[in-house]
Amino acid sequence: MIIPVRCFSCGKLVGDKWEDFTRRVKEGEDAGQVLDDFGVTRYCCRRMLLSHVEIIDEIIQFHETGKKRQLHSSS
Amino acid sequence: MMEPAEKAVEEAGEYRSNRERKTVFSFEINGVGSMNIKTLKEDDTSIHLLIKGTNAAFMNTLRRIILTEVPTMAIDEVVVIENSSVLRDEFVAHRIGLMPLKTDLDTYNLPEACNCGSEFGCNLCRVSLALESESGDHTITVYSGDFKSDNPSVVPVSNRIPITKLAPEQKVKLEAYARLGKGKDHARWQPVAVCTYRYLPIIKINEKSCDLCEKCIKVCPRKVLRKTGDEIVIHNIEDCSLCQDCVDACEKTPNAIEVTWDDESYTFNLESTEALKPRRILQEALKILDEKLNNLLDQLKGIQE
Ligand SMILES: [Zn+2]
Ligand SMILES: [Zn+2]
Repeated sequence: MIIPVRCFSCGKLVGDKWEDFTRRVKEGEDAGQVLDDFGVTRYCCRRMLLSHVEIIDEIIQFHETGKKRQLHSSS
Repeated sequence: MMEPAEKAVEEAGEYRSNRERKTVFSFEINGVGSMNIKTLKEDDTSIHLLIKGTNAAFMNTLRRIILTEVPTMAIDEVVVIENSSVLRDEFVAHRIGLMPLKTDLDTYNLPEACNCGSEFGCNLCRVSLALESESGDHTITVYSGDFKSDNPSVVPVSNRIPITKLAPEQKVKLEAYARLGKGKDHARWQPVAVCTYRYLPIIKINEKSCDLCEKCIKVCPRKVLRKTGDEIVIHNIEDCSLCQDCVDACEKTPNAIEVTWDDESYTFNLESTEALKPRRILQEALKILDEKLNNLLDQLKGIQE
């Protein structure tokens, strides 16, 4: 749904690195290199960021469009 | 003539009694004072030590006390006043509970040890953090940095942890209560992400039979060995994982390389969640061990009298 706050296995804080991680990967940087830069060295923490899909962004669209429709009908 | 099995049993017994004698001896004569500690690496979040002259029992004691007994601050109660976000109340509360908080051990008491004796806690055993966030016309992300803490020194270690997302006209308003707690009650109070110890490896190369084929250098996943001149040298022994790949790769019989370990030397690796400094975690752990041992001693004295 949304990026987990901590690594499931070791408990390292990974949530705060997600936004920078996706931005830099989208800009074309190598994902492994970005993780090294963040000091995410263990594979348990690396998979947290590498394999994550931010589904909340898909779900929140329903709420956004619902709001738009409401605005249309009232105007 | 003794049977091989009998001989092995006898040798094991001899070995054990030797070891026992040695342990008692080192406690009486040298004690913990003979321990030799070297810092291999240290920064704000992690510490890497080489500890000589100790045993696995002590290293494991230290490790387990750090994991389960060293207190840190974390949120354990959330009062949700309003939450219209796409994440349910308990989901949001769970995320809030997992945020590591900067911990001030000198000011705050563990709730069970606090003089107030109150169920709700007092200024010395509880910190309240409030969160109120509303989206305007656009979708926003609520971050850990949006929390307003009663005590500015007890705040999340990072301001960039996403708590939830709010679509237009959604709102979240809640109050969270943080307190000191221990890792044995819940993992959110653990001061560390990693806390491990390992035997210090011993790598022996028989220079007479080694023909410098370099197979052991190539196969090593940690790149421990290097060739300098006409000799194989150990470059970074702490990195060796005792995988024995180099021994398997050696084509000599008997093998020209041998990997064993020293059961009195350990490397200790600790990575904090940033709630406490690594050095402080170690100091607190030793203080707790000291208290436990003194408690045991007092009880033993009580039995004698
Ligand atoms: Zn991890
Ligand atoms: Zn109190």
